[in-house]
Amino acid sequence: MSSLYERLGGEAAVDAAVDIFYRKVLSDDRVSGYFDGVDMEQQINKQKGFLTMVFGGPNNYTGKDMREGHKHLVERGLNDSHVDAVVELLGATLQELGVAAEDIQEVADIANSVRDDVLNR
Amino acid sequence: MTHIIFDNKQIELEEGQSVLSVLLDKNYDIPNSCQAGVCQSCMMQAVEGEIPVAAQAGLKDTLREQGYFLACSCQPTSPLHVVAANDVELKCSATVAEHTLLSEHVLRLRLKPQSDFVYRAGQFINIWKSDKLTRSYSLASVAQLDEFLELHIRHIPNGKLSSWLHDEIQIGDELNIQAANGDCFYVPGNAEQKLLLAGTGTGLAPLIGIARDAIAQGHKGEIHLIHGVRRQEDLYLHQTLLDMAETYPQFHYDTNVLEADDNRDQASDRSLQQHILDTAVEPVQWKAYLCGDAAIVNSLKKALFMSGMAMGNIYSDPFLISAAEE
Repeated sequence: MSSLYERLGGEAAVDAAVDIFYRKVLSDDRVSGYFDGVDMEQQINKQKGFLTMVFGGPNNYTGKDMREGHKHLVERGLNDSHVDAVVELLGATLQELGVAAEDIQEVADIANSVRDDVLNR
Repeated sequence: MTHIIFDNKQIELEEGQSVLSVLLDKNYDIPNSCQAGVCQSCMMQAVEGEIPVAAQAGLKDTLREQGYFLACSCQPTSPLHVVAANDVELKCSATVAEHTLLSEHVLRLRLKPQSDFVYRAGQFINIWKSDKLTRSYSLASVAQLDEFLELHIRHIPNGKLSSWLHDEIQIGDELNIQAANGDCFYVPGNAEQKLLLAGTGTGLAPLIGIARDAIAQGHKGEIHLIHGVRRQEDLYLHQTLLDMAETYPQFHYDTNVLEADDNRDQASDRSLQQHILDTAVEPVQWKAYLCGDAAIVNSLKKALFMSGMAMGNIYSDPFLISAAEE
């Protein structure tokens, strides 16, 4: 049986999803404020890393990276509602790309598995 | 088994070992994060040797052409000479061949480098006044067409380097310059693509270079250059650009003026941002180059991306003014 990452289409799927996903994030008032003033190209690269991870692809992100990467945002009030919003936008992106509901759920499960690290709990 | 050359040393690689892994083993402080070829924080540059294809996956074409690669995904099969990104220090001397004003505040400086100087139109070079003082300026010239390097220098009040170049430097003087850098340049391969070249002030310099380069390399798709200025009097090379539009049917030139300055001159009826969005009507078909004031360039970039242009098709060069001179 093929892995989630293979079913989604691997690196090409990440490339196809990243612009759509980032556009959704930037136009959503619940989370867009956390992206003010960041370098968009660097951010796109980080988003690719994030999508590769939640698609079940090759990555070496650790809980420590997740904690350090979001610490300053948690100090600015990042909480469960923002993670919920990002998971929702991720689902909407994949739906737009025609991904099956079960696969979207699996992606959401991976995203939720790093929730505590992201929120530094 | 092969080796890399770094920091003047030959470093042996184990079978399948990456450049990043071997350098970290040798205690070099190489920036890195994901180690999976994604975050691009371990980017380095190869100056000699063959770069494995996988080491350049995901990099912009302009970076690939300059030999940049990701150290974490680079498992060389033959000797490779690598340097840290931006560590290519090739200073050279150049003679001032022309020193004329293009507008009240913009100087055209043409330089003849004393040795072969490799660059791409639209990249920037550093000019050094002393060991400590340097500023970056974009190239308006095209290596294949021009024998000189052309820079457009805006006089910044109290600007240490721009004042020096405007007021003291003369024809025949020698300047110290440093290798061209930046990824804002034309890459052949898609001659039908529509190109949007938009910028403010002396952001016009790299845009003219990119436009002339694209035309010289046989670009067939529409090329739209839009020059944004505060006031009508800030436009420069206006007639040259109008003539270019007459000569080359694929080239279109337009201006965007922010403020009216008297009864005679009128401000544009729309913002520069609206102007470029109106121009790139089907954003997915376009490639954009944005140069000039950093705040404006960054907001234009966001606007184009949100309108549907792929981030990978947006090249930008935000001009930063040294903090002490703002």
